[in-house]
Amino acid sequence: MSRDVSRRNMVKAGDPRLAQAIEREPSAVLRLPIDGPQECLLFLLGNDPYALPIGVILEILKLMPITTVPRAPEGVAGLASVRGQLITVLDPRPKLGLPDRPQDRKTRILLVDSGEEIMGILVEEVRGVQRFEPSQIEPPQVLGGEPPAHVAGVARNEESWCLLLDLRPILEVR
Amino acid sequence: MPDLGDKAREDFFSEAQEIVDGLSGDLLRLDEIVRRGDSDAELVNDVFRAVHTMKGLSGLFGVTMMSGLSHELEELLDDLRLGRAELTSGVMDVLFRAVDLFGRILIAARGDGPEPADEVKELLASLGNVADTKAGGGAGVVAQYELDPGVLGVLTEYEEHRLRVNLQAQNRLYRLRVAFPLATIDTALDELKAKARPQGEIITYLPVGDGGDPDAVELEILLASKVAEHDLLSSLAAPNVVIEEVKKRPLAGSSDRLSSGRPVFAEAEIGTGGKMPSLRADESREARPSQDEPSPGTHGAGTMSLKSVSQTVRVDIRRLDHLMNIVGELAIVRGQVERLAERTRATPQLREINAEVQRLHRAFERHLTQMQNGILEVRMVPLGQVFEKLARAVRQISREVDKPVNLVVTGAETEIDKLIVEELSDPLVHMMRNAIDHGIESRDGRMMVGKPTVGTIALNAFQKGNQVVIEVEDDGRGIDPKAVLAAALRLGFTTQDEAALLGEKEMLSFLFSPGFTTRAEATHLSGRGVGLDVVKTNIGRLGGVVGASSDLGIGTKMTITLPITLAIMSVLVLEAGGHTFCMPLASMEEAIFLDPREVRKVEGREVMTQRGQTLPLVRLAHLFGFEENDDMRRGEPMRKYVVIVSVGPKRAGFVVDRLQGQQDIVIKALGRSLRGVRGFAGATELGDQRVGLVLDAGALLDDAVTLGESRQLPEARA
Repeated sequence: MSRDVSRRNMVKAGDPRLAQAIEREPSAVLRLPIDGPQECLLFLLGNDPYALPIGVILEILKLMPITTVPRAPEGVAGLASVRGQLITVLDPRPKLGLPDRPQDRKTRILLVDSGEEIMGILVEEVRGVQRFEPSQIEPPQVLGGEPPAHVAGVARNEESWCLLLDLRPILEVR
Repeated sequence: MPDLGDKAREDFFSEAQEIVDGLSGDLLRLDEIVRRGDSDAELVNDVFRAVHTMKGLSGLFGVTMMSGLSHELEELLDDLRLGRAELTSGVMDVLFRAVDLFGRILIAARGDGPEPADEVKELLASLGNVADTKAGGGAGVVAQYELDPGVLGVLTEYEEHRLRVNLQAQNRLYRLRVAFPLATIDTALDELKAKARPQGEIITYLPVGDGGDPDAVELEILLASKVAEHDLLSSLAAPNVVIEEVKKRPLAGSSDRLSSGRPVFAEAEIGTGGKMPSLRADESREARPSQDEPSPGTHGAGTMSLKSVSQTVRVDIRRLDHLMNIVGELAIVRGQVERLAERTRATPQLREINAEVQRLHRAFERHLTQMQNGILEVRMVPLGQVFEKLARAVRQISREVDKPVNLVVTGAETEIDKLIVEELSDPLVHMMRNAIDHGIESRDGRMMVGKPTVGTIALNAFQKGNQVVIEVEDDGRGIDPKAVLAAALRLGFTTQDEAALLGEKEMLSFLFSPGFTTRAEATHLSGRGVGLDVVKTNIGRLGGVVGASSDLGIGTKMTITLPITLAIMSVLVLEAGGHTFCMPLASMEEAIFLDPREVRKVEGREVMTQRGQTLPLVRLAHLFGFEENDDMRRGEPMRKYVVIVSVGPKRAGFVVDRLQGQQDIVIKALGRSLRGVRGFAGATELGDQRVGLVLDAGALLDDAVTLGESRQLPEARA
C-alpha cells in the first residue's frame, strides 16, 4: 500500500479553519463527477474499502473516548473532545447496513466539515492515499442494480479498488 | 447608515444604549424630586448633556430620527436649565416618552423592529405646547452684590441664571479661593465639589491668573448656600481653601450686568478651564463617544491634553467566553498535572521530583482559580441596570391603570452575569405588570380594607451562595391557593387524589403552567397567571427558577432564583447505567441514599416519602434506555442514590448508581446534529478527554411525568 498520511496535509484541530468552518455556508462535501486526478484517502468500513477525496478530511484522529448520547439519532456514535472542542462522532455502518467491527487500535476518526459543524466519522482502519485519474473512476451504476445512496462512484487503479463515499446521507442525522 | 464598520456600529449601539439607560435613571430621580415640588439643576444638566451627546452620536451614525428628536429635546432641556421653562409633571411625561422612543429607535436602527415614526412625530408636535415659557425676571438682584465685573462678564447664560435663582431665594453667596496642585486637580476638585454639594450650589469656578506657582492652579469658586459662613468653614475647611462671603453692596447700582472695563481673565488663560463646558458650540467635537462627564480642569493652565480620563474599555462578551473556554481547558491540564503528581508520589525514586510537581500544581491551581474569578468578575454587572428600566415601566403602568404605586428597590448593586441581565427585563416587567394590574387593589378597594392608597411594590435582590435571588413583592390582595387549585382541577392540570397531597406552595405553582387561568370563575383573580408560563420559560432558559407565595389580603411575593453566571456551572457528577452525567446543582435540592424499603409502587410508578412528602422516583438509567448497574458488594446490592431535582412546581427523585462529586464546569453546546435530542443542556470535558453530558433537569422532569417509571425505551427523537 501507499504512503502513510495520517498526519500530513491535514488541518490540525486548533487550526482557525476549524472554527471558521462552523460559520461557513454549507459546503458540498463531495463533488462528483470529478474533473481531474483525485487524491483519495482509503479506509475500511464494514471491511469494504472506501475512499474520500483528501481535501474533505480535516484530520485523522486515533480512537479516543467517545461518550454515548442517549436518545441520539441513528448513526451517532457519541461525543468526543478534540482539544477542547466538542465533536459529534458518527458511525456510518448501521445506517448503511454495513457489518459492525469492534473498535480496536486500528480504529480512526476522520474529521470532516458537514457545512454546519465539524463531525467525526468512525472508520475501521486507514489504508493510505491513492491517486485516481478521472478515467479510473466509474459511476456507481457499474455495481449493477440500484446503486446505494452512499456510493458516489467506483475507483480503481493498478494498486487498488474502492468505493467513493458520498457523505451526505451519513451526515444527515436529524 | 454610513459604513463605519461593524465594530464602530457595535460601539455606537452600546454607547447609545448606555446613554438611554443613564437617561432613564436620571429621569426617575428627577421625577421623584419634581413630585416633591422641588427641582435639581444638576440633574437637569445631566439630562441635557446626555441628550446632547446622543444628538451628536446619532448624527455621526446617520440615525436621523434619533438626532432629530434629540435636537428638539435639547431645545426644551435648554429652556429648562436656563429657567425659561418650568419643569412640570407634563414635561416629565414628555421626557419619559422621549427616552422610551430613543430605545425603540435604537432597536429599529439595529433592524430588530419597526421605526416608531408616528410616535416621534406625535411627540415632536406636543413638545411645543408642553413647556410654558417663563419670563426671566429678577435680573436686578445680581447687581446688588459685590461681584467682580470680570467674573460676571464670563458667566455663561446658564450660570447667570443659576446665580439669579439662588440670590432670589435669599441664599448667601460665598467666594472660595482654592489652590490645587496641577497633578491632582481633577480628583481634588471632585472631592471639593462633593463636599460642597450638600451645602449649596457651585455657580462657577474660574482659574485665577496670578500664576505664582507653576505647579499649582488657584481657582475662584462662587458658591451659593443657605449655610452661615462659620458652618460652611467647618465643613469645607482645608489649608488650601479660603472662604469669604460676597456681601451686598450698600447701594444697588442701576445696571444688572456691569460693563466690564478690565477683564480679569483673558480668554486664552481660561480656556475650557473652570467653566461649564459650552455645549452649544461645535457639537460634532463635543459629541465624541465618551460616557465620561466632561471633566473641567483637565485642560487647565496650558496643559492642553487630549488624553482620555476614562480608564475603562468595552469588551465583546464573546471574547470573554473565549477566555473562559481557555480557562476550562487549563483546568483540564491542571487535572492531568494532578494525576502526574499522584503517580510520582507512588514511585519512591521520584520523591524529589514529586515535591516539586506538587508545589507547581498548587501554584497552578491557585492562579487558575484567580484567573477564573477575574474573568467572571468582568462579566458581572449590577442588577441596577435592569431595575432602572423596571422603575420606568412601573411608573407607566401605574399611570395607565390609575393605581399609584411606590417602588422600593433594594440590592440594585447585586451583580450578575451580563448575559443574564439582558434577558431579565422582559420577565420582570411582566411580573411588575401582574403585581400592579392584579395584585394592587384600586384606590377605593385599598381604602376599604384600610391600606394606604399608594400601593407598594418591593423589588429586592441579593446574593445567596452561587445564586442571585430577586423578589417582587406587592402589598395587594394576594392569591387564594384554593382558587388556584380549583382552576387547576377544572383545567385538568391535576386530579383530586393528587390535590390532596399538595401544599400551598405547590398549589400556587400551577400559576406557571401554560394555559393556566382562573378567569372562568374567580373574577378577582382574572388574568393572574396568564403569561407567567412565559416568565417561567424565560427564567428557566437562564438556568433559574421562579416561585410564588402569597398571603391572602396581604400580598404576593414572586421569587426568581438565578445562577450568578452562565459561564461556569456547578454540577454534581454522577453515574447511571455505567454512563457519566452532570446534574446542575441549581436544579437540585439534595442527594440522599436510596432506602429500598422506603420505595412503594403506586399505579406502576415508584414513589418514596421524603420529609412527609411524596416523591416520584425515576431510574435515570431506564429513562435513557440503559440497564442499571446491579453489581453486588459483600453479598448485597450496591447502594444507590436519589438525586432530588425540582424545577418550578415539578419535583422528582432520579435514582442513580453512583455520585462522583461536585465540580465547576464550563458548559458547551451540543453540535447542531444533536440539538434535537431532549434532556441535555450541553456537555463538558471532565478531564482525561472524557466528555460528560449535562442534564437538562426541566426537560427530564417533564419526561419523568409523562413517561412515568417505565422500562420502555423512550422515543429516540424529540
